[in-house]
Amino acid sequence: MKILEVEKMVMRFGGLTAVDTLNLNIDKGEILGLIGPNGAGKSTAFNCIAGVHPPTEGTIKFNGENTNQQKPWDLCKKGLARTFQIVKPFASKSVLYNVTVGAFATTDKRADAEDKALAVLKTLNFEDKKELKSGSLTIADRKRLEIARALATEPKLLLLDEVMAGLRPGEVDEMVGIIQGLRDSGITIFVIEHIMRAIMALSDRIVVIQFGKKIAEGTPGEIASNENVIKAYLGEEYGTA
Amino acid sequence: MLYFIEDTINGILMGSIYGLTAMGLTIIFGVLKVINFAHGSLLMVGMYVAYWTITLSGMHPYLALVVVIPVMFLFGYLLQDIVIKPIFKAEKEVREPITVIIVTTGIWYILDNLALLVFGPQYRTIENNPLRGKMFELGEMLISVPKFWGFVIAIITAGAVYYFFQYTRLGRAIRATSLDRDAASLAGINQYKIYNIAFGIGTAVSGIAAITLIPFYNTFPTVGVAFDIKGFIIVVLGGLGSIGGAIVGGIIVGLIESVGPQFMTATWTEAIVYGLFLLVLFVKPSGLFGEKNDW
Amino acid sequence: MTGNEILTPSDNPSGGSAGHSTVSGSSSGHQGFTPRKKIEVFSLLGVVLIAFGLPLIMTSPTYLHIVILIFFYAYLTSCWNMVGGFAGVLPLGHSVFIGIGAYTSTILSLQYGISPWLGMIIGGVLAMGTGVLIGLPTFKMRGAYFALATIAFAEGVRVMVENLNFLGPFNLNGPRGLQIPPVNFGFANFMFQGKEPYYYIILIMLIGVILLTWFISRSKLGYYLNAGGEEPEAAMALGVNVARAKLIAMAMSSFFTALAGTFYAQFSLFIHPKSIISLDLSFEIAFIALIGGRGSIAGPLLGALLLRPVSDFSRIYFGDVFPGLHLVIFGVVLILVMIYQPRGIQEPLTRVYNRLINRLTKEGQAKEVS
Repeated sequence: MKILEVEKMVMRFGGLTAVDTLNLNIDKGEILGLIGPNGAGKSTAFNCIAGVHPPTEGTIKFNGENTNQQKPWDLCKKGLARTFQIVKPFASKSVLYNVTVGAFATTDKRADAEDKALAVLKTLNFEDKKELKSGSLTIADRKRLEIARALATEPKLLLLDEVMAGLRPGEVDEMVGIIQGLRDSGITIFVIEHIMRAIMALSDRIVVIQFGKKIAEGTPGEIASNENVIKAYLGEEYGTA
Repeated sequence: MLYFIEDTINGILMGSIYGLTAMGLTIIFGVLKVINFAHGSLLMVGMYVAYWTITLSGMHPYLALVVVIPVMFLFGYLLQDIVIKPIFKAEKEVREPITVIIVTTGIWYILDNLALLVFGPQYRTIENNPLRGKMFELGEMLISVPKFWGFVIAIITAGAVYYFFQYTRLGRAIRATSLDRDAASLAGINQYKIYNIAFGIGTAVSGIAAITLIPFYNTFPTVGVAFDIKGFIIVVLGGLGSIGGAIVGGIIVGLIESVGPQFMTATWTEAIVYGLFLLVLFVKPSGLFGEKNDW
Repeated sequence: MTGNEILTPSDNPSGGSAGHSTVSGSSSGHQGFTPRKKIEVFSLLGVVLIAFGLPLIMTSPTYLHIVILIFFYAYLTSCWNMVGGFAGVLPLGHSVFIGIGAYTSTILSLQYGISPWLGMIIGGVLAMGTGVLIGLPTFKMRGAYFALATIAFAEGVRVMVENLNFLGPFNLNGPRGLQIPPVNFGFANFMFQGKEPYYYIILIMLIGVILLTWFISRSKLGYYLNAGGEEPEAAMALGVNVARAKLIAMAMSSFFTALAGTFYAQFSLFIHPKSIISLDLSFEIAFIALIGGRGSIAGPLLGALLLRPVSDFSRIYFGDVFPGLHLVIFGVVLILVMIYQPRGIQEPLTRVYNRLINRLTKEGQAKEVS
């Protein structure tokens, strides 16, 4: 059984079809990348999967269970966590507080939650910043905080939405290492990314969508040489005849 | 039956005046995305300005528009510039600044109680009121003259404001800023100046409303309170930001108030108005003519 | 665990402020009594002792009355804080719960002879139900709409109570209100001759509510409320059912607010809609909490302790010459605070307090060493 199965998913907003008949699935322990030009519908797909709004058509199955109508907080308790493209820290609170909110997903006691949060911070090499007000962090740290928070909920599947955006190359490499470490610890990862270097290095497989439709799927090597993908990104003239 | 028609007409006339009182609120909301809780107090200020202008100069009430409009515009402009702008700047990121609500409520308190301190609690009406109690006959019905003129002024004002926002350069600049203030400022529009002007316009409209009320409504420090809440109800009914909606919403409230007492006590009609308000809030918060936004 | 949480649960070494406790050192709860904590606990006990001993020193019933009202407002603002502070919305119609509590216990005791204490609980439950009913549709709304809805609801109820003489078998007496005859003194009847018993009752209620909000702020519910109030989308993705958390907060807030209604009824022996379900009262509660600092525990308390005396004294001394002056002052203070210290006056006061404590503990530590 795949950990995530998306079948014929369609998302329409009024007259606009943001996602059109999307099919994809993810194996447990895999890192699946999702790429595509801006506006292709990647974040919309994430939002449907994460329960922000139910898809107009199609089915989403998480661990075999149909989750079309489920809400984000229930999905989170079931093991599906996500980060946001535009980071949303609880700005007036400390880093530790932020992560503790996530940790409460698996426990009711504050002492436990804080301990778990600290453990998460440790694995991300973030412990030294635990008292800092999250609103005053650098963008790279805020991205790390997003991941830390989601991680504290003890997810089985983690949806990462453009966590590299705004990072410098050194920080990108660091983030790649972190994500690989997460996979090693048993978490399945579904990544949206624009930074090619990162997504090629991370992903076992990649799905490419454009205008809401899947136009290619395969290993990074296959994708890099795929004619449709090249056309989508660089324009018609660059596709080899 | 005749009473019913007479009540209906009076309800429409008074309702349009209500709509006029609420129009400033909807303008300010439409542009600044702020619900101005001091709205009723602005109306009160307008009434006092009108009262003193008329009493000291002896001019005809409606003529006092010449004084009231610029004074109120300036007052609103300065209010926004001095008191509200700092909060806007501080809460740049936030989509719907709650702090502004709190601040405008503070302004309400200050204005109402300053008026009490300065003018005293007594109810005032203008002496030598050329419109006092004047009625004209429509068949066998009696229609109040000042209310009729209020209706006319309300419609003219609504039309003028609408025209201003749709067809003049400044009006369009204001609308652009309301849609996306950052984009507008990139197009060379000074967003804070726009807000000042919009607030000034909204306040000036409240001044016009005050003039229409002066001939038949008492002036006293807390006169604004009833119109404040009613203003919110009207504006939500008609749709926040919609000029026509304000008039329509006002007429609905006016009709309930004038026709309602035929069937129940006056105070139950008040409860009905509140109930209708809550109903609209729950079912269609964008009102009859408002734009659907994520409020 | 630092001793920070009790009086000033809103500090953070890097200068920000929030509504939770900080953790310094390694892990939570395993530190024992630091010098700082010793000072804080002792001073807290000292304050409580003084509060309990006050009626022995301050025997004038007028002053006692004033202090009772201060505590009353501090209680109300702390209850308001559960929704307005922690849940991040702006409820401006809370007096409706005071009214429900007051009318319920009064009617039950006047018409049916039920003890006001029992009536208090029943009133609280009724208010709780009402609060949840209001919250269900309104919490979906953003800021200003929610505020308007609470105002409309409170005003609607007031209008109804003002115009009903009877609600079914219950005698509401419309705008004339209800009077409680001062007979049958005794605890069971919640009726006392002197002011001292009322003082102790409201003091205990106040301490209870403060403890409650303190516990909540350190609990899962508190964290969830803060998160949901600040970034609802992120909170939902982290497992927070924001709507449900807000409803729980509202339920608690409305229940405890109603208890104060019963207290007021038994204390002043007269209730009527204009005074007890009034918009002015709702606004005053919200303003005090906002000026003091909503979202923190000390904030509403500080606000009431500082602002109520100002309000009372300006009304007593200036009321004739300058009516309404205290409200002007209120408004001005409110605006200034919102512009310069949106988190309330508890923020700068907390900083001063922390500096004081740090200096004391350093001196204390130095003394111990030598």
